[in-house]
Amino acid sequence: MIRAVAIYMLTICGMLAASLVPSHAGRVVADLSQSNVSLSSGFHGTELLLFGAVDGRETDDIIVVVSGPPTDVAQRRKAQVGGIWINVETNIWKDAPSLYQILATRPLADIANVDTLGQLQIGADKLKLQLQPEKPQPGSEKPDAGKFLQSFARNMASTGLWPAEVGSVKLTDGALFRADVQLPANVISGIYDVRILQFRDGVVFSESQTNIYIKKGGLSAMIYNFAHDYSLFYGLFAIAFAVAAGWLAAAAFRRG
Amino acid sequence: MYIYLPIAEISMHIGIIFGLGGGVGFLSGLFGVGGGFLMTPLLIFFGVPPAVAVATEANQIVASSVSGVLAHMRRGNVDFKMGGILLAGGVVGSSLGVMLFKYLRDMGQIDLVIKLSYVVFLGIIGGLMLLESVRAILRSRRPGAPRRKLHQHNWLHGLPLKMRFRRSKLYISALLPLAIGAFVGLLAAIMGVGGGFIMVPAMIYLLGMPTSVVVGTSLFQIIFVTANVTLLQSVQTQTVDFMLAGLLLFGAVIGAQFGTRAGALLRGEQLRGLLALMVLAVCLKLAFDLAMQPSDLFSVELLK
Repeated sequence: MIRAVAIYMLTICGMLAASLVPSHAGRVVADLSQSNVSLSSGFHGTELLLFGAVDGRETDDIIVVVSGPPTDVAQRRKAQVGGIWINVETNIWKDAPSLYQILATRPLADIANVDTLGQLQIGADKLKLQLQPEKPQPGSEKPDAGKFLQSFARNMASTGLWPAEVGSVKLTDGALFRADVQLPANVISGIYDVRILQFRDGVVFSESQTNIYIKKGGLSAMIYNFAHDYSLFYGLFAIAFAVAAGWLAAAAFRRG
Repeated sequence: MYIYLPIAEISMHIGIIFGLGGGVGFLSGLFGVGGGFLMTPLLIFFGVPPAVAVATEANQIVASSVSGVLAHMRRGNVDFKMGGILLAGGVVGSSLGVMLFKYLRDMGQIDLVIKLSYVVFLGIIGGLMLLESVRAILRSRRPGAPRRKLHQHNWLHGLPLKMRFRRSKLYISALLPLAIGAFVGLLAAIMGVGGGFIMVPAMIYLLGMPTSVVVGTSLFQIIFVTANVTLLQSVQTQTVDFMLAGLLLFGAVIGAQFGTRAGALLRGEQLRGLLALMVLAVCLKLAFDLAMQPSDLFSVELLK
């Protein structure tokens, strides 16, 4: 159903793009099958269809970068101390994207050179992020972000939030494109940024941007808000519920 | 079917949650322990953040303990006077424990302290219990062997504030159960357990209580200690996941009923021997994890 609607909209977009936009301007129009995602009780990750039209040539390329709301992430390093492995160093990555997913029509290296990708910060290893010690000591140096970035990207990939593989974008006749954006089960709530870049001859030809809004919904949202806004009552309620459930079970089994 | 847990902020299969609840609930009814020492590491293993696992488990233990204690009360196996003194200490100890937990969490070492506490306390108690129960089982196989004295007298019996505990057939200082309650409460708050696995042997070996009332009395005081932890964690850290606790306790209260019944079929020393083996298994697993080189020396945690 969603697919059918999307394909229909793709066609409309394509016709619009073809008729309205002057051929030299270069323009990307994009939309999502669903821009609001609710983290309700049944949520276990989802897949969104990103589709749109581009005024381009068959040899053009599309790169899509999906990034989640900026979040501080603690990275801990373990070392052996007295026979056991414990965390000996903690650094905080400031405002790291909580989700980082890249989709492209071809391998990134075939689309643009390393310098261009670096400037655009496309690729987990090319992000310019601030790294600082968790407990800054006076006089100590800042940790070298470049040294830790590779292990950080590896750690984030293992959480599923920074998939290491580049997803695929299908570009048809240099005019219509579509891509499946995967949202894993552990996405956090917030505003997600989707950048769509049209590449021609190794440089960005045009660019567009859209958003995914992820919010806690339904019962999950109610429980979360209750826990944070009325924490004392939440605690009392949790205890009362537990006592009642335990008593009910005992009573039921006594009769049964 | 997966269910999204609003405080833990992960999605978990409902079968796993019910399976954990039912399985650990059964053991909790069987041994008269809250089951937290199994559940908390298991929840962490399944991806629940340690702070949420510890706080949520306290909430769930309230339910399984209520369910378990009612069965023991009907058989008159609860010493309310002893339980009252233990829980008075327990409430003080667990309140301190929640504060210490928050402090250690801010230091970034809570995971290590949780794991080391598990290894040390599970190791000591599991080892002692196993030795004792093996000895008891061997003794029971030799008919005519001398019966163990009810309890040994030592310096602990010279402490002031002596009280008579009729159900436990004891005349001892109230300071002793008060101190035990406080110590176990402190550990309970840090380790995300009810503390039964420490309380039960402490009651038998330190207080000299008869085995018949130990399990019921332990469950009785665990209700209050874990309720206290639930409330304090809700207010201070907002890490109690009601959705997770509710689903876990659904399985756990039912499991606990079956466990209590099964427990009546086994002898005391057999029960203690089995519990000791389980405690030691968890201890060894955690010790092994600490000693083995992790596959990745780096790990990440999203902060908010």
